[in-house]
Amino acid sequence: MRESRFITALRHAVLLLFVAISLYPALNVLSISLRPDNNLRSTDLAIIPNNWTLESYKQLFTGQPFLRWTANSLIVALAVTATGVTLAAIGGYGFSRFRFVGRNGTMLAILTTQMFPATMLLLPLYIVIAKLQLINTYLGLMVFYTSTALPFCVWQMKGFYDTIPVSLEEAARIDGCSRGTAFWRVILPLAVPGLVITALFSFMASWSEYIVAAQVMQDEDMFTLPLGLKNFQASLSTQWGLYAAASILVSLPVVVVFLVLSKYLVSGLTLGSVKE
Amino acid sequence: MLPRSSHEFPYKNWVLLAFLLITGCAKSDPRTVITIWHQSRPTEKSFLEREIARFEQANPSIHVRALYKETEELRSGFQAAALAGGGPELIYGPSDVLGALQTMGVVQDMSPWFPQEQRADFVDGALTYLPASREPLKKELVQIADRFGNHLALVYNRRFIKEPPKTSEELANLAVENTIDEDGDGRKDRYGLVWNFTEPFFGIPFLTGYGGWVFNDRPPAGSSSIPVTPPTPSLDTPQAVAAWTYMQSLSDAGVAPRHCDYDLADSLFKTGRAAMIINGDWSWAEYIATPGIDAAVAVLPVVSATGEPMRTLFAPKGYSLNANTRPEIAATAMAFVRHMTSDEVQHRVVSELKMLPGRTSIQNDPLFQTDATLKTSLAQLKNGRLMPVDTELRAIWDAMRPSYQGLLAGAVTPADAAKEMQSEAIEKIAQIHADSAPDNSVAAINIAGLLLVAGLVYWQRGSVARFAKDWPRNKIAYLFVLPSIICIFAVIVFPFFYNIVLSLSNMSLANFRDWRVVGLRNYEEVLTDPKIWTVFVKTIVWTVVNVTFHVGLGVLLAVALNGPVFGKSLYRILLIIPWAVPAYITALTWHGMFDYEYGAVNLILEQISQFPPAAWLLHLLQLTPPVNWLGDVTHAFQACIVANVWLGFPFMMVIALGGMQGIPHELYEAAQVDRASRPRQFWHITLPLLKPVLLPAITLGTIWTFNNLNVIWLVSSGGEPQDSTHILVSYVYKAVFSLYRYGYGAALSMLIFLMLLVFSVIFLRRTRATESVYA
Repeated sequence: MRESRFITALRHAVLLLFVAISLYPALNVLSISLRPDNNLRSTDLAIIPNNWTLESYKQLFTGQPFLRWTANSLIVALAVTATGVTLAAIGGYGFSRFRFVGRNGTMLAILTTQMFPATMLLLPLYIVIAKLQLINTYLGLMVFYTSTALPFCVWQMKGFYDTIPVSLEEAARIDGCSRGTAFWRVILPLAVPGLVITALFSFMASWSEYIVAAQVMQDEDMFTLPLGLKNFQASLSTQWGLYAAASILVSLPVVVVFLVLSKYLVSGLTLGSVKE
Repeated sequence: MLPRSSHEFPYKNWVLLAFLLITGCAKSDPRTVITIWHQSRPTEKSFLEREIARFEQANPSIHVRALYKETEELRSGFQAAALAGGGPELIYGPSDVLGALQTMGVVQDMSPWFPQEQRADFVDGALTYLPASREPLKKELVQIADRFGNHLALVYNRRFIKEPPKTSEELANLAVENTIDEDGDGRKDRYGLVWNFTEPFFGIPFLTGYGGWVFNDRPPAGSSSIPVTPPTPSLDTPQAVAAWTYMQSLSDAGVAPRHCDYDLADSLFKTGRAAMIINGDWSWAEYIATPGIDAAVAVLPVVSATGEPMRTLFAPKGYSLNANTRPEIAATAMAFVRHMTSDEVQHRVVSELKMLPGRTSIQNDPLFQTDATLKTSLAQLKNGRLMPVDTELRAIWDAMRPSYQGLLAGAVTPADAAKEMQSEAIEKIAQIHADSAPDNSVAAINIAGLLLVAGLVYWQRGSVARFAKDWPRNKIAYLFVLPSIICIFAVIVFPFFYNIVLSLSNMSLANFRDWRVVGLRNYEEVLTDPKIWTVFVKTIVWTVVNVTFHVGLGVLLAVALNGPVFGKSLYRILLIIPWAVPAYITALTWHGMFDYEYGAVNLILEQISQFPPAAWLLHLLQLTPPVNWLGDVTHAFQACIVANVWLGFPFMMVIALGGMQGIPHELYEAAQVDRASRPRQFWHITLPLLKPVLLPAITLGTIWTFNNLNVIWLVSSGGEPQDSTHILVSYVYKAVFSLYRYGYGAALSMLIFLMLLVFSVIFLRRTRATESVYA
């Protein structure tokens, strides 16, 4: 499929404009991290300050348990991603393909869990965490993150399965596949873009979460990255250099995860797989 | 540093490793563990760590764990932990939260462990006594301070100011003289005097210098204790009006940028672009060490009109004991407090931290004679006023903040500001103290609750039977969905019902631990609040605009990316950057970009408006630069929306991109055979087939945006200007965390919940989101 030059140019124009818009504020963060004088604000617009230094980055690795926090975050985020994707993959399929009693009601009920302002949940949440003795455990965080990421993941996977024609499964069943095999062999491979998005979302939900983490993790060794970041923040005397440097480093794994996943963010449906 | 056992890797045993990973290295430590939550700034934090190491060396059977928490974090976290029966043994910080903590009953009397003879040498104010929460006549020792701080002084750059001003008149003159536009481009190259225009704490020296104060005088009691009668605000006095007039005249004279917040003032002074700054003791050492400027600290001047010195607030910083700490542990915890207030450590507070010690005899330290900063600090402190510990002070700050900002922005007259502050303070103090007994509606609620449950059972009576019949047929479906459902609801059920009960209760500062159900009063209060409706409308606008742009831009970019584009994967990565970088810091970056004078947004708009059509368009949108983004009510809200759109579009783009992969190419090929135009293809193929993927994202996106607190809070610094950018959740946050109105907050949250529920039901039904496209 060849495109006219005009359309190609239009694509690039739109993309370049938004890349600029996306990057500029982020480059500001980079700029803060390179400043030697611990300034959040600057009166000049240069991205690389003329007296730039990598001091903040150096201090992050030598003076702070940054690697330990990264490890904690990775353990939690990867576990949540694995659980979230697995549960959503089968849950979403259930909601998409079966008409069982209470289906619509349950789907709505799942959404309601997201409707309550997080501010008010802190107090009871702390009580639950304390009573279940989950303070300072990875498990505490994993359970909470999975449960908060799941509503979106289940709905999203349901949406993806909806776009896959039922005729594909029926064809497989006719060819002698069991229901489970048809799901595993035929449908799941086609839903890979959905799984990628679900995975990315679960990862992000646990990677950047802070409020619950602050309740669960009460020991600096157990901190996740967002908590570590908060460590540099103090009312009226935040260590902006360290804060910005850590923020830049925190976003790198997300970019890597996306880079790896986006390879699978390609068409699952190939030519000739379906004839409606 | 002592070796920490938690760092040692568990050897060989993988089962143990897995167990430790899950339970989080639950180590068995034979030592008595004391946990301290503190809010010390970096230098004080490392001082604390050094002292802990010394203390542990001398007491090998004790392990002290220090955990840093930011001010508000510490307070709310400690309240929750204490309510749940846990929390750290000690907390460390300034005294201003003590009134609230004592009223809640979450700290305990330390006098049994700190006998009279040990208390003799403390500076007035270092030991804080408060009436016991149950017996108002009994005084309890609730804080032992090892140092004083948080006082303001004048810092000046000796390159510009030879002699610091002695009077307010000199201060104003020097400030005006040093406000200079060297190259005559209409932009100032140096400001005379900068300070924080957003926090009223920085206005207190002016208020006191003119003879005013935030509270009316009360019958004198011990200087370090509060009398039994609650304080009343005194913000609308001739003295206050005079102070605000003076401050506004400085701002009108342009000695500081019109919307000077803390970070801008700080940057200007550090880069030599401000001759003087008013800032606290925490900042001085850094200024003196900053290369390129020659900073020195001076006592704040005397007000010419009254002859009174400007008195800054200062606070003792010290230790308080958690009410849940058992006596045998408390004794150990107090040993650490004794260490921190010992002669040796107190001298180190002076020599290493350059701070003022809690003990009187330490003020003889020779450093007070030789160190200029310490000398000034002590002089300023002797001119200071002790930070009140009354809970009402929070209401005072909240009441002063909007008018203080309006005053310095030139939007309010001094007389109106004073009047407004006073009436707000009276209202907010009343809200803190609001207490209610159960009323008739309690019985009605109980009956209504029962009826509701009965009604539900009756309504759904057929479901159980149908479910039983359906189970064998759809067994596999239930097995598929059950794990997710259990996981989702296990976590949320308790908090949800807890909040329903809370919303009917009188939980507040006064009834923190012994709250009870009192009826529908909170709901009544929410629904009759005249402000709530404008906030509600604003929330709707906020949600609709944000979600529209998120989805619109997301789909646009996905369409642009979904084709033969050179550099596709690079584009994709760069476009998710706003999602990847932690929102906290990018939101603050946006705050800086919207700055009136130095922000990138205004500078770019100025460039664009050189082209007549663009200028005309901007004029039409009322955005002719420079736009007063953060100082104007409408523009501040627009700024929040812009920042939030930026944060949210990559998510929708990724969703749409994923959804487009599921659309078979044949459909487009067929359309091309039929000579359908691209817009038609988009409208008739892309959109309908994206629908099942986009709908969940839109529904949840709407819910999340409706409840998005962060962006509003960070971009507009908590509702600035003048508390005008609030949406419903930030309103809840403010009520709960500033004024301790838990019941009220829960009721408002329930209403938010109901609104979103109604929206979702209607939206999902109208869009038939639960149905399949091919079905």
